Amino acid sequence: MNKTRTAALAALALALPVAAACGGDDDGAVTLRYAFWDDNQRPALEAMIAAFNEDHPDIEVELEQNPWDDYWPGLDSQFAAENAPDVFWNHVSRFPTYADNGVLLPLTDFIEEDGVDPSIYPENLYDSWRFEDDQYGLPKDWDSIAMVYRLDALEAAGIDPATVNDLEWNPVDGGTYVEFLQKLTVDADGDNALSPDFDPENVVQYGTAMASSTGQTDWWNYAVQNGCSLQTEPWGDYAIDAPECVEAIQFTADLYNRWHVAVPAESTNQPNGGIPGDYVVPGQAATTLDGSWMLSFYRDGLEPGTWAVADNPSGPAGSGSVINGLSNAIYAGTEHPDEAWELVKFLGSEEVQAIATEMGSVWPGVSSLNEGFADYWAEQGIDVTGFQTAAEGTTIGYPLSMNDAAFGTAALDEFNQVWLGQKDAQEAAEAVVEIANAE
Amino acid sequence: MLAPSILGFTVFLIAPIVVVVALSFYDWNLLSDPEFIGLENYRELAGDERALQSIGNTFYYVLLNIPAQTVLALALALAVNSKVKARNAFRVIYVLPWMAMPVALGVIWRWVFDPAYGALNRFLEVFGVDGASWLTDSAWAMPVIASVNVWQYTGYTMLFFLAGLQAIPAQLYEAADVDGASAPYRFFKITLPLLRPSMLFVLITSVIGSFQVFDTIHVMTAGGPAGSTATLNYQIYLESFTQRNAGYASMLAVILFAIIALITLAQVSFFRKRTVYDFS
Repeated sequence: MNKTRTAALAALALALPVAAACGGDDDGAVTLRYAFWDDNQRPALEAMIAAFNEDHPDIEVELEQNPWDDYWPGLDSQFAAENAPDVFWNHVSRFPTYADNGVLLPLTDFIEEDGVDPSIYPENLYDSWRFEDDQYGLPKDWDSIAMVYRLDALEAAGIDPATVNDLEWNPVDGGTYVEFLQKLTVDADGDNALSPDFDPENVVQYGTAMASSTGQTDWWNYAVQNGCSLQTEPWGDYAIDAPECVEAIQFTADLYNRWHVAVPAESTNQPNGGIPGDYVVPGQAATTLDGSWMLSFYRDGLEPGTWAVADNPSGPAGSGSVINGLSNAIYAGTEHPDEAWELVKFLGSEEVQAIATEMGSVWPGVSSLNEGFADYWAEQGIDVTGFQTAAEGTTIGYPLSMNDAAFGTAALDEFNQVWLGQKDAQEAAEAVVEIANAE
Repeated sequence: MLAPSILGFTVFLIAPIVVVVALSFYDWNLLSDPEFIGLENYRELAGDERALQSIGNTFYYVLLNIPAQTVLALALALAVNSKVKARNAFRVIYVLPWMAMPVALGVIWRWVFDPAYGALNRFLEVFGVDGASWLTDSAWAMPVIASVNVWQYTGYTMLFFLAGLQAIPAQLYEAADVDGASAPYRFFKITLPLLRPSMLFVLITSVIGSFQVFDTIHVMTAGGPAGSTATLNYQIYLESFTQRNAGYASMLAVILFAIIALITLAQVSFFRKRTVYDFS
């Protein structure tokens, strides 16, 4: 470590709220810091840690929770200050940069020594945490996007829920999907968006709500369904200026400004707007395309029997969404690599992921448990097949790039303007590509 | 006796400034070791539209914020310094916004200004007025943020003027009355000149504060739309904590420091020649 870095660290140490010092207590016990972001998953995490402590009473695990938008800047600062949590949730979008900069502890040797069997995970999920020749995480879960809708809204609009799995959209006339959303978009006089008397300025219920700080739950869906793969190849350049991508971005903008079936971007634009569920739960939107990790949000916000899950609509290229997964990773600078590995190994095991599965928290990283997750939701009256279908369709993996930060910021900045109707989709896509591929 | 305060001054002020200046000559992504790149960050600034826009935004914000806030605060101070009924209650009420948390207020104001579900546009509808998309229209977003901050800090600024007003000896006004001076004459010839020490303090602190605005912007617009509310201070945050360009952000911080230092020096030298502190 050179002097500049030491000086920079000194300054950061002053500027940051320094977390309680971790380390060994007098009796030889060890405290591990474990960082995560999703409030919906906290109960499952606590249950898993309680199980961990039955086996390892001498390792205390402290949970450190920050919401998504604050989680990454916080983690980056903690890496800079060399005071990061021992174990933390890692995301595919951040993984390449973190692995490349050496802040992640390679797990390859641990995995070999302890004989962890990687075949219990789907191969692509496990391999997504590989960088060069090392493995940097064990899969915690997987997720996909599907349609969440309100049965009461469909009933009021006279739509048979049996038809919802077969909706199709196209960029020309919108297709049956847009017609479906138009029927669900209702103004104050009770006229829907298909009626000549419809007043788009005075809508009480919109067909859909779109709000995503990455694109994962809004325009990426339509992009994938239109044959756009976001990048030239995994690790390659961003290619969202391709015609099939721009068409999908334009279609997303049309849902706002041409068809008037989406909660206006003035309210939903990120990072300061609400999340989709914030509009579906109070009834301001009838449907949304949302992530499987949000299921418990709807369970806790809506009465049983008033909502359901369906397949994504199909676009010209088919149905599908971006699939993704998280891993538990270990900080390279941890003082307790062995204990941290014990925790990560434990959280990656079948018996422990079963705990989260049985609570309906997330689709498990361990393949054999998928059934258990679906069973939990079936007992709640929710058929979650839509998420499994979404994982099979024209689905692609989350974009992998060292330039994720530049891409993410530029995309949000540019497309927010497109959703507001202030900028052309083509122009915005070109601007994003130029910024994201520059570095 | 001075040792503890000098220690604090050095550790919390001098050292970070030195480090930030040093870092402005480095490329640093927070994750690996910084790399010395000389003046590269400074050269890059010339071609960085967003950063240049943010400098312009900062001046725009300060111009929207400071005159309105200062004039309003002075007017309020004059009002609550007179013999109106319940003036103490008014003094407290005006200071209340300053006592609340800026982030919490920002969130509430964002709800108020929400175009579809916000209180303001619902209210305007009653009068048949179609409210704007306050926070997503680049023409409105900055004035809205400036007005929220004016609302928040006017009462606080008023306190300093009030203290200044009460320090002006009453016999000056009595003498002016005897000479038959009009109210505007008394204000411009007695009140305003003798308020200069307060004015100096108020302008220096509020201009510095205004250049450093962050929280209201972060929770109300996050710098959008199209970067139209990203001030230099906000740009520093974006560069360092979303783009991991800590060296470049340090360069921007040095620029901000230089701008504030120059403006403060200008203010001090302007007021120094014209200020009377001794009323006896």
